[in-house]
Amino acid sequence: MSLGYLTRRLFSVLLVLVIVSFAVFAITMILPGNAAVMILGEYATEDQLLALAEVLGLNRPWYIQYFEWAGNILQADWGMSLRLSLPVGEVVGDAFWNSASLAVTALVTVIIVAIPLGILAALYRGSKVDLGIGLFAYVGTAMPEFVTATLLLVFLAGSAGGYLPAGGFIAPNESFPGFVSHVILPAGTLGLILMAHIARQVRSEMSDVLASDYIRAARLKGLRERTVIRRHALPNSLAPAVAVISLDIGYLLGGIIVVEEIFAWPGLGRLLIYALENRDLPVIQAITLLLAAVYALSNLFSDLAIAALDPRVRY
Amino acid sequence: MRSATPSIREGLGRVVEKLGNLPAEASLDGLTVLAIRDYSLNYNTTSGPFEALKSINLEINRGQTLGLVGESGSGKTSLAWAIMRYLPDNASEVSGSISLLGENLRGKSHQEILEIRGRRISMVFQDPSTSLNPVIRLGDQIAEVLVRHRGLTPKQALTEGEALLATTGITKPAEMMDRYPHQASGGEKQRVVIATAFACNPELIIFDEPTTALDIITARQILDLFDRLREETQVTALYISHDLGLVSRIADDVAVIRRGLVVEEEPCDRVFSAPQHQYTRDLIAAVPHPNRRIASPAPEESASDLLNMTGVSVRYGETSILTRIFQPDRELTYGACDVSLNVRLRELLGVVGESGSGKSTIAKVLAGLQDFDGSLRFNERVFATRKSINTDYRRAVQIVFQNPDASLNPRQKIREILSRPLKLYKIVPRSEIPQRIRDLLSKVLLPEEFADRYPHQLSGGEKQRVAIARAFAAEPELVICDEITSSLDVSVQASVAKLLVDLQRDTGTTCIFITHDLNLIRQLAHRIAVMYRGSLVDLFETNEAENAERHSYTRALLDAVPVPAGTESSPSP
Amino acid sequence: MSDFARHPAGVAGAILLTIIALAVLFGPLVAPYDPQAFHTTVRLQGPSADHWLGTDQFGRDLLSRLLFGARSTIAFGVGATMISVIAGSLIGVTAGVVGGWIDSVIMRGLDGMLAVPDLLFVLLIVTMLGAGTGEAMLAVSIAFTPGMARISRSSVLSIRTREYVLAAVARGESQRYIILSEVIPNAIGPIIVEGTIRVSFAIMIGATLGFLGMGAQPPSTEWGLMVSEARQFMYRSPWVVAVPGLAIAVAAMGFNLFGDALRDAFDPRRSR
Repeated sequence: MSLGYLTRRLFSVLLVLVIVSFAVFAITMILPGNAAVMILGEYATEDQLLALAEVLGLNRPWYIQYFEWAGNILQADWGMSLRLSLPVGEVVGDAFWNSASLAVTALVTVIIVAIPLGILAALYRGSKVDLGIGLFAYVGTAMPEFVTATLLLVFLAGSAGGYLPAGGFIAPNESFPGFVSHVILPAGTLGLILMAHIARQVRSEMSDVLASDYIRAARLKGLRERTVIRRHALPNSLAPAVAVISLDIGYLLGGIIVVEEIFAWPGLGRLLIYALENRDLPVIQAITLLLAAVYALSNLFSDLAIAALDPRVRY
Repeated sequence: MRSATPSIREGLGRVVEKLGNLPAEASLDGLTVLAIRDYSLNYNTTSGPFEALKSINLEINRGQTLGLVGESGSGKTSLAWAIMRYLPDNASEVSGSISLLGENLRGKSHQEILEIRGRRISMVFQDPSTSLNPVIRLGDQIAEVLVRHRGLTPKQALTEGEALLATTGITKPAEMMDRYPHQASGGEKQRVVIATAFACNPELIIFDEPTTALDIITARQILDLFDRLREETQVTALYISHDLGLVSRIADDVAVIRRGLVVEEEPCDRVFSAPQHQYTRDLIAAVPHPNRRIASPAPEESASDLLNMTGVSVRYGETSILTRIFQPDRELTYGACDVSLNVRLRELLGVVGESGSGKSTIAKVLAGLQDFDGSLRFNERVFATRKSINTDYRRAVQIVFQNPDASLNPRQKIREILSRPLKLYKIVPRSEIPQRIRDLLSKVLLPEEFADRYPHQLSGGEKQRVAIARAFAAEPELVICDEITSSLDVSVQASVAKLLVDLQRDTGTTCIFITHDLNLIRQLAHRIAVMYRGSLVDLFETNEAENAERHSYTRALLDAVPVPAGTESSPSP
Repeated sequence: MSDFARHPAGVAGAILLTIIALAVLFGPLVAPYDPQAFHTTVRLQGPSADHWLGTDQFGRDLLSRLLFGARSTIAFGVGATMISVIAGSLIGVTAGVVGGWIDSVIMRGLDGMLAVPDLLFVLLIVTMLGAGTGEAMLAVSIAFTPGMARISRSSVLSIRTREYVLAAVARGESQRYIILSEVIPNAIGPIIVEGTIRVSFAIMIGATLGFLGMGAQPPSTEWGLMVSEARQFMYRSPWVVAVPGLAIAVAAMGFNLFGDALRDAFDPRRSR
């Protein structure tokens, strides 16, 4: 892994983020009405709006506004929330860690469950195990998060015979068991669609590996099947598995929005919904940029992981 | 899952194994190592059972090499899988037995088969790039066989592995042990595979087309290696190939298999001097032999040049600004380097080289598909860039590609494919197009009804004929054939090559024939050009091929391509 | 095509799709009740003889609401995807055919847009455009276009180097002929496969928008909206959320299965 490659990738990430920031900024420009309207409300007079617009600098050319905004971002000045009268950085910061705890829990669960499932399905291809996992995969990828969440809530939470809390959040450092009981349902919802998708992909990758010439050659050397799977097949399916998982982080970041809303989890997703409903522009911009950055960086990390796992990949 | 108590015989057997192979005693000569008796194999497909092998009877004695020759679909590979007991689920063994030193392999349990594979029977595969695990070091891939079957510790196995690599001719075995497959060349990888196969001193080794995926010179080296190891170890070998000529050099006995049936089984020299079956005779006739000319009469010495290439170079890796930002490490590589060549009117010029020699690059340049530096002179006009190539040139110069599956648009009927050049160049008025299509099809010896078919309904050889017909439809002055026979079976190759020569003779078209098969080109061409790593290194009249002043690379190529044994004295049938 | 029929997943998908198509086309005609009609005496009931799928919190027949809502939910998905396929293919094919710096610029732009997770992108656009079915459909189309453009571009690129295309170039065929007759007919396969699978995502996102109140608006019987309206009653009668929820899943699954079967049918390794 050359330093040159790393620098180039980081530069790529930066470029992508610039484009995203531009798009986000552009969208807010297209917004019917502007920040002044948001703050003062529908019933403000023309003069009031103009005055506030002047103060906020909304009448300047768009590129000047963009560069000022971008410059602020880079200096870690994310502005003030229009609705909450708090610095955006503060508001988003707390939410970020809450979301992170949920996302990481979901991701870890997915990896632990989905990869072995996929491998099993490939090893026992055509058997009932494979069909079962396949069915799970098909159903899982067809259920939007809100459907899964709702069904889980109906059957596992709720007033009559509920086993788990229907929503809310307890920080892990306050009470770990509390955290666990509250995170199970949302993480499970988030994880389900991911597990289904990843299991399917891993199955397909592993099947390809098992059908390859070098696996055949290994078997024809008289190696025991255990050895063939462990030493020859698995290492070759790790790199594609990492690739699939990194792609699915995109689904995860989208799903988190809905899941947090349903389970009242105080993370970025819930904050975003609130900001969208209330047209809190600085918050919207900040969260979008943050999520895009997380996605882009996770792609970078997965590329690095793939390079570490596959000796053919030499950047 | 070890078996509970090994029997005494197995125990004794293991002791003997640990001591090393039994020495080749005179009394063991003539011992039958592999015996296949009345073996039949079916595959159950959705359209009914497919008879892959029918009543096969074969024997290989100790220290002998049996060459099994067949074209694609003959069942030769299925036989290899049957011996290794690695058949797919839809295979059903209808009858017969396969015995190794008298033990019937069909009766063995899965565990026993695992003990046999790699230890008593091993296999060398066709393509070393795909039969080696890309993420495991080469050394480990040899060592694991030793650990598994000879009970060595990993450390001992690595040392032994290194020694084995040395015997297969690898110059720096210690380094090679540490490498990954993608860091080794095709020849080096195949030596590793061969070393692995020999590692446990097996009783039988199956070689499945081990040189097909390699370059000519590398293939020859591997063949020589096989010969040497055969001498040294007296190993019993089953050598599978589609190349009768090649097999004739290294086999003691030859069996010819066609559509699941063994049609001929003879000692090697008898196969060529007195072939019993018509198919064998056809195969022998199809093997290219330099002394059997199929060319059209040579153009006169003073014939003018149709085409001149002067100082043509092709550079890859030109970078745009964006690419330079994101991939600054991309190097400049040369597809062709300063090539100057003339093509005489009405001749068939052969261009020979291995992969990467630049012969296909030159073909693309001449067909107007590749940007280049230098100049082309054709019919009094000079072209210095690809863009300057005009429609007249494109009509007059046609190209036929190597891969028959990819050279015809799968969504167009043959009729449409053939009518395209007719319409584009307005060769004939619209009303005459159907007739012209019929003429073209009959010229390439295809039935008229094919006009209504789609490419996937034709065989490889038939598709290639259509591609040739398409090229000649434009009434060109020059036809470039880029390895048009390389993807075809031997028997089909010969007919397509002959077709081309006949067409050339009938229409007076000039032809450039690109190939890696030296024997074939010596049959067809009037002059031969030799390319190596992008440069033209030699150009000579075909009958001067074996002269002393030939370039060293040309001589290396000639040495690497053996003339089929037993055919020197046979004139054209 | 007979290969296709032997593929069980494809058959299942085809059956589901047929049912769905019938629901979309004829749903409102065969619905037993008016979807908005209250039947206050039978609120929050499970399935019964009168109401095959039960009733919701106002006593409205769930089956009828489902059949009426099929159009909003499914047609939404199909419509949004079709727009993105057409727009994406135009962009992708252009990029793939033209190449050069135009291609690089387009690719960078696409990469930027693809860096934002789908749902997030859609939410942003919908917020800007306002809530509503039409706006949501436009938002989903815009969000899906970069992905479709990517697929079209890679499909074109892989066809462009095939030898029959090279033969056409060597002949001196016009760019127009090459694109229309040689490239596009062969590049369309993967685009159609991806499009079919995307419909299932479009349906799911559309339903999610409906659920969040940013897509279809009442009194529409869009299935996502049905779930959100009934949420507070779900503990009393799970049917009221399960029925529309599962309907969404079944529809998405149908397109998924069919798309996978299409992919296998188009795969050159399978076809003879």
